[in-house]
Order: sequence, then C-alpha cells, then structure tokens
Amino acid sequence: MTAEGPRGAVPRGNGGAAAPAPIVRTEGLTVRFGGLTALNNVSIAVPSGEIRGIIGPNGAGKSTFFNCLTGVLKPTSGRILFNGEDIAGLAPHTISRKAIARSYQITNILPGATVLENVRIAVQSRHHNWSMLRHHRAYADVVDRACAVLADVGLAGKETELAVNLSHGEQRNLEVGIALATEPRLLCLDEPTAGMSVAETHATVELIRRIARDLTILIVEHDMEVVMGLAHTITVLNYGEVLAEGTPAQIQANLRVQEVYLKT
Amino acid sequence: MTTAPAARRTPSAVGYRIGLTVVLALLALAPLVLPPFWQRFVTEILIWGLLAMSSDILIGYTGMVSFGHSAFFGLGMYGAAAALLTVKPPDLWLAGLYGLVGAGVVAAFVAYFATRLRDIYFAISTLVFSQIFYVIIFTWTEVTGGENGLTFSQPRLSLLGLGSDRFTPVTLHWFVLAVVTLSYLLIRRILQSPFGKVLESIRENEARTRAIGYHIERYKIVAVMLSGLCAGLAGVLYAIQNKFAAPDFVFFTVSGEVVIFNVMGGMGTLVGPFAGAAFFLLLREGLSRFLTEYYLIPLGMIFVAIVIFLPQGLLGFLRRRLNQ
Ligand SMILES: Nc1ncnc2c1ncn2[C@@H]1O[C@H](COP(=O)(O)OP(=O)(O)O)[C@@H](O)[C@H]1O
Ligand SMILES: [Mg+2]
Repeated sequence: MTAEGPRGAVPRGNGGAAAPAPIVRTEGLTVRFGGLTALNNVSIAVPSGEIRGIIGPNGAGKSTFFNCLTGVLKPTSGRILFNGEDIAGLAPHTISRKAIARSYQITNILPGATVLENVRIAVQSRHHNWSMLRHHRAYADVVDRACAVLADVGLAGKETELAVNLSHGEQRNLEVGIALATEPRLLCLDEPTAGMSVAETHATVELIRRIARDLTILIVEHDMEVVMGLAHTITVLNYGEVLAEGTPAQIQANLRVQEVYLKT
Repeated sequence: MTTAPAARRTPSAVGYRIGLTVVLALLALAPLVLPPFWQRFVTEILIWGLLAMSSDILIGYTGMVSFGHSAFFGLGMYGAAAALLTVKPPDLWLAGLYGLVGAGVVAAFVAYFATRLRDIYFAISTLVFSQIFYVIIFTWTEVTGGENGLTFSQPRLSLLGLGSDRFTPVTLHWFVLAVVTLSYLLIRRILQSPFGKVLESIRENEARTRAIGYHIERYKIVAVMLSGLCAGLAGVLYAIQNKFAAPDFVFFTVSGEVVIFNVMGGMGTLVGPFAGAAFFLLLREGLSRFLTEYYLIPLGMIFVAIVIFLPQGLLGFLRRRLNQ
C-alpha cells in the first residue's frame, strides 16, 4: 500500500506555497467534563480536499473532537470555523445541513429499518422531507440516489434486508453510506474499519479513497497501516492536546509520537 | 437504476385491498343485521378505535407514549357541545369544526411544551397537561356544566346540497364509519409519506435522525398535532352519538385505556388499535355482566397474557404488510 493517494494536486496543510483556505479550522478548542479536560486548546486547520488522519491513544479526545464538530457537544471554549463560519455549539441538524457528516465509532443506524430505508431517509433529509400526501417511494429521485449510495458502499443487493441483520462489517459500511447520503462537503469517519476483517478493511479503504475525490475527510483510525496509507496529513492527539502534526512519514519518524503512541 | 416500485402492485398490496374492502363491507352491513344494543356497540367501537389509532401515530410510529389523549378527546367533545348549544339550528359540520379547533388548540399547547421532553418525561407531562384540562373542565361549572357535563340535541345529518335528515342508528353508524375510514386512509397515507418515514426514523434512532439533518422537535410537534386532531375528531363523533359531554371522558383513565387498546391490538399498525378497542370493549361488556366491577381482574389477567404471549399485539404479525 503506497503512502500517497494517486492525485497530484493534493493541497497540503504543512506550509509551503499558497495553501488553500482551510475548509475547517478550530481555534483553541477546549472541552471539559467536570474535572477532566478531554480537549485542551486544540487548534487544527484542514485544507479543502485533504484526507486528515487523527490518531492517538484511547481517551485522547478523538471522538470528543468529532462530537464538537458535529454539534453533539458544545465546546467549553474555542471556535470551530467551517468555511469561515463559527459553528461551535450549533445543533446537530443545523450542522448537518451545512454539509458536515459523520460516521460513529459505535455503529449508529436504524436497526429495525431496511438497509435501503437507512440511506433513503438520509437522502430525503435534503429533498421533500416535509411532503405528507404522497407515498415515499413515489419520489424516485430519492430512492434512486439511495440505491446509488448503497452501490457505492458495497451494499447493492441488500436493500430489503433489515439493517440489524447485516454483518458487522456491512453495518460499518452502511454507517458510512448514511453519512454520504446527506451530500457532505466534510466527512468525519470515527474508526470506520473497527472490528472488520482484513478483506473488509481493504474494501473500506478503497471506498474512502474513491469518495475522497469530492470531499474533505477527517478519519480517526487505530489501524496504522490504514491511516498511514490514506491520510495526506496526520494529527496526533494525546491527553486532549495536539502532540504532533505532519505527513505520515514525518509522524512515523517523530520521536515524541513514538514515545507515547507507536511503541508497543 | 430504474426503480418504480410505487407503480407496481405487489401480491401483498392486493391482499391488503381485498382485506380492507371485506372488513369495511362487514362493518357497513353490521347495523342492518344486529339488534339495537349491538348496533350502537359497533358504532362506539369505531369511535374508540379512532381515538386509539390517533394515539398509535405517537406510540407506534414516532415512539412517544402519550398518557394525555383524554384531553384531546375531551376537547373534541366539549368543542362539539359548544357548537351544538350555541348555534341554532345545531349543525353537524360546525360541531366538527369547533371540536377540531378545541382539540387542535390543546394539542398545540401540549405539543409545544411536552415535545421538549423524552421518554417517560414526555409521557408524564402529557398526563399532567390532560389532568390540568380535566380540573379546568370539572371546576368551571358555568361554562362546562362541571361534574354534570353538558347535554344537547343531536344535529341533523346534512350533506352539502343533498338536504338533511335526522340520524337513525343506521345512518349514524354509516356516517361514523365513513369519517373513521377516511381518517384511517389519510393517516395511513401521511405515515407512508416522507414526513411519516421521518417519524419512524425518530422512533428507530432519534439521535441519528437528528444527525442526518432533521429538526426533530418540529416533526414531533406536527405528530402530536396530527394525533390530537384525530383524537378530537373521535371526541366529536362520541358527542354526536351520545348527545352529551362529560368530564369523566377527560380523566386520565381514558388515556390509559387508549394505551391498552394499542398494546392489545398491535402498535404501529393503525388497524391494530381498532382490534384492541373491539377486543377490550367486548371483553368488558361480557365480563361485567357476570362479575360487575370485578370484571377488571380477569381483564387484567388477559391483558398480561397478551403482553407475555403476543407482545406484538393481536394484529402485530401483520405489521410489515400493513405498512408497505
Ligand atoms: N460525555 C462524556 N462525559 C464524560 N467524559 C467523557 C464524555 N465523553 C468522553 N469523555 C472522556 O473524555 C476523554 C476522551 O474521550 P474520547 O474523545 O472518547 O477519546 P477517544 O475517542 O480518543 O478514545 C476520555 O477520558 C473519556 O472518558
Ligand atoms: Mg473514540
């Protein structure tokens, strides 16, 4: 697996010539749970079009960072600028409509609905969502788009199955499909390959590479091979603070990172 | 991908239509063959079924348990009473309008405040709101008649342009059947619509539904309004059938029975609550003849047996077919 994606003009966050304006930037983001500081003064800028890896030991604050970005948590202090607008503390549905989507570390789907319905309802959030007098299947645009998303995430043919009956790996991909169906510009993936087999992991990596052509991706991942292979830049969190930031090669060579994280 | 499932009639959709037609035909014929007591009884089952169905919108589809449906039902009743007592000559459609406005106002009030709460807190707040309305109705004697309620005369059955006539038990039954059937078809369509699918998504996973961009509270408010209006309509029909409005019907035990109809008949099916209402009312009728007020003991045991052995309710097994 090569460390670089196939694209030439990948915008880089690490200085150099005229970096493009970041699609998302945090300034002094801090989250405290009582006495525990889960995020401490985190300032990160992610250029549009980048795949940004976020790594760090368990409890480092990675999921908390996503929770702030998607409105699940209101940060104790700090700003989150998405395309220049401060979105810190906005409601999750408002942030979703600004084109930020996420998948969850712990699978978070509609268990009793069909696979198609899981994705269809996400597509529908942008189209006809208040229509009351026609059958939902009559809106072929929504159904067709949902089927296309399912094909994208490798779930074609599973449309009529109940989501709860999918295998773990399939549910993980459905998770990504639901997020994709909301047509995001920024996609936050929280350990998308957690618990997957080697083959499933490989397929998911390919999927992420494919969808990354049109959007910016933040990915939290424990599988080092996966994250090093996918990310253009990696941010390392430790005890809620940014420990290091750089290309996969730089991170692998960073002594402090090795000290707290990579050495096992 | 070319998908046009809407245009396709699946075998089970055909089965649904046949089943519905047969049941409606039987219900339409029922008053022609039944003795007067049972004639009236079947009409009443339809009305209670409509009330229970209105509650199913929240319990079965949105995942919100309301213990306050007696308030919507009661306001429908008293609204109808207001029209029938103040407007001369008493007008059927005006009774419906007043009743729906009454129930709608209360539903808007409850929806606005109660939907900020979830789960048991929502359930309790609906109960508290309905009891507030009960106390108001019970104590405001000059307007509501207090404990004694209000009695009035039955409006004539008037169909626009077709003249009017006094209700007979049979025409009243047909009128109720028509209103209930149209309400059922409308609610069913709304629950199959994109809006209705959002309600189901809220039931399945509220946090995720919010995360994909839905403003949950707004959907819940509309769901409660819809449910309250439908319950109010049942109240109107009950007022017209019985020619009185009484505070007992606003009391929370009525709301409890509504939830029981849903659990017995099958939540999330719309028709299940009708079956639940029929089953419960028939059992009560039969048991109380032998056991007077002790009928509650076997009724309670039957309820527990259903919850244990038929957790989906009497018609729960039809759920997927009914909701296609
Ligand atoms: N809602 C919460 N309430 C209290 N503590 C929390 C909450 N969410 C996370 N934490 C704590 O914050 C720290 C960071 O958690 P998290 O962001 O989930 O870490 P990561 O995803 O990097 O493993 C952990 O110590 C965790 O226990
Ligand atoms: Mg985490």
